[in-house]
Amino acid sequence: MKALVYTALMGFRMYFRDRSSVFWGMLFPILLMTLIGLAFGRIDSLTFTVGVVGDGAGPAAQVVRTGLAQVPAVRLVTERSLDDALKALRAGRRVLVVVLPGGSEALEVYYDAARPQDSRTALLVLERFVAEANLRLSGATPVVELRAHSVTSQSSRFIDFLLPGILALTLAQNGLMGVSWTVTSYRQRLVLKRIIATPVNPLLFLGGLLVRYASVGIVQLAVITLVGMLAFGARLAGSLPLLAVLAIGGSLVFTSVGIAISTVARTPESANVMGSVLNFPMMFLAGTFWPRELMPEAIRPIIAYLPLSPLVDAMRAVGARGEALGPYLPGLAYLFGWGVLALVVAGRRFRWE
Amino acid sequence: MSIAVSVQELVKRYGSLVAVDHISFEVSTGEIFGILGPNGAGKTTTLEIMEGLRRPDTGRVVIDGVDVLASPREVRERVGVQLQEAGFFERLTPLETLALFSTYHRRSLPGAVLLERMGLTEKGDALVETLSGGQRQRLSIALALLNDPRIVFLDEPTTGLDPQARRAMWDVVEGIRREGRTVFLTTHYMEEAQRLCDRVAIMDHGRIVALDTPRTLIRAHAGGTTLAFVLEDGRLDPSRLPAVSRVDASDGETVLHTADPQHTLHALLDLSRGGQVRYRSLRVDEPTLEDVFLHLTGRRLRE
Repeated sequence: MKALVYTALMGFRMYFRDRSSVFWGMLFPILLMTLIGLAFGRIDSLTFTVGVVGDGAGPAAQVVRTGLAQVPAVRLVTERSLDDALKALRAGRRVLVVVLPGGSEALEVYYDAARPQDSRTALLVLERFVAEANLRLSGATPVVELRAHSVTSQSSRFIDFLLPGILALTLAQNGLMGVSWTVTSYRQRLVLKRIIATPVNPLLFLGGLLVRYASVGIVQLAVITLVGMLAFGARLAGSLPLLAVLAIGGSLVFTSVGIAISTVARTPESANVMGSVLNFPMMFLAGTFWPRELMPEAIRPIIAYLPLSPLVDAMRAVGARGEALGPYLPGLAYLFGWGVLALVVAGRRFRWE
Repeated sequence: MSIAVSVQELVKRYGSLVAVDHISFEVSTGEIFGILGPNGAGKTTTLEIMEGLRRPDTGRVVIDGVDVLASPREVRERVGVQLQEAGFFERLTPLETLALFSTYHRRSLPGAVLLERMGLTEKGDALVETLSGGQRQRLSIALALLNDPRIVFLDEPTTGLDPQARRAMWDVVEGIRREGRTVFLTTHYMEEAQRLCDRVAIMDHGRIVALDTPRTLIRAHAGGTTLAFVLEDGRLDPSRLPAVSRVDASDGETVLHTADPQHTLHALLDLSRGGQVRYRSLRVDEPTLEDVFLHLTGRRLRE
């Protein structure tokens, strides 16, 4: 037992002394989270930058300007000229450009047809504003008033959605890229031979490897989560112990898959290629960065069979929405099937030199 | 004297290649026993069978009274193993490496003591990746001594070392024997076998072609001492020189094989003093295990 504990402990130390593994294991996921958060995070921030052209002295213009400035989702920018404004609109720096009327003629609005989603939403906001302003200007009292009540308790913020995906991906990456590379190079450099030349029970050494990567995974996930919470304001809705259990389980499965890969690959380089073949499709398809519903219908059945998918689903359910694990158990059982299969392959094919 | 290692009729084939071909020998307790042979002679295969790392096709190996085939782990508990070119965990220190491997044995010596003995104390807390080739080799020996073994197996302990590090390693090996341990080593350096080993088995193509003390092997299989010189002037009549058994000429050199070097040398000096011959670059060569190998196999040992 001491052999297992020490193998894990020393492995843990080695991990943190290796800059490249710390980069791929912690900085890379954080970078991914940052970049993807920046690229897609604006969807739920709902701020529309609206360019305003003309100083329209008329009363209607005044109402529009002061009124628009009070709409929470709108950020007003005063433009120097219509040309400048349209240039900014084409460059994507404005969602709408509004030309203030000099007298009482119509409010002219320009939008970019290439970005239908943003423009349509912004136009709706503007239309509603115009309707309200007309009502108010005509002195009528609104007959119907809308009061919206949110019924979902779950977070709809993108970072909350993204973080569990990044965590699950990190675990998969550890196993598929890290473990497969490390074990193959241990074999190639005759480190495994040195182990097998001692009286130790080889299973204790392999067990030590599993524990090493599970504990490394927990530390990685803790760091990534902390960065997500402190730097990006991510929130975890569910139970931390349950997340930790999922992390350890996922880590064991993907470490086993990594060891299985190392029994097929002859060199660390080929182990890397094999790991990537599994890792990269999962990275983009398994719902780690965006909902699987965005994927083409045709490949969705394949995606459902990727081993990362059930882990992403379960970690997201617990992490982002605070759900119980119940509905996700069949998926997790499928994931563990991968782990068992990997261990069987590893057990039959493992060579010490 | 008790028997530390007994190897009987060992055979190991790889396809049509017979790597180890019916070899048998015994090693006595406290002895330094060496297998000398060129690369590919089957030395490492033999050693790895003895360590329980490979299974022989037939044959039997008993080490310290334990049958290797029946209980390989028990044998590894009792012997120290230094593997040729085996790697380390590069991002551990020597002290951590010893601490880790000590958990792989039932009993172990303190790491600091072993590093001290190997002259590695200063490097105890440096990462292994910063060690030189000689320092790695000494760490490898420290690992072989970790379980305080009665028998130590060293596979080519000085291969890849510079001459200075090689000599330091010889002192280490002799030190191991002085502690009362039996040393079994393989080498392809005849100088090393001659200097270190009490007895040497010469191995070629999977077979042991000769086995004895270096001195006896040389006496039996190599010619006597030779005197070599370049003749500059005059003719030499070998019959006028005492104890000369044969005269060879090669590369402009005259080589005299003699049964009594002192006597022959005196006569040669007398001839030059009398002005009958003039010569330069006079050299006296003692036969070595290299000559034994050449005599037994018709080939040279060196790579």
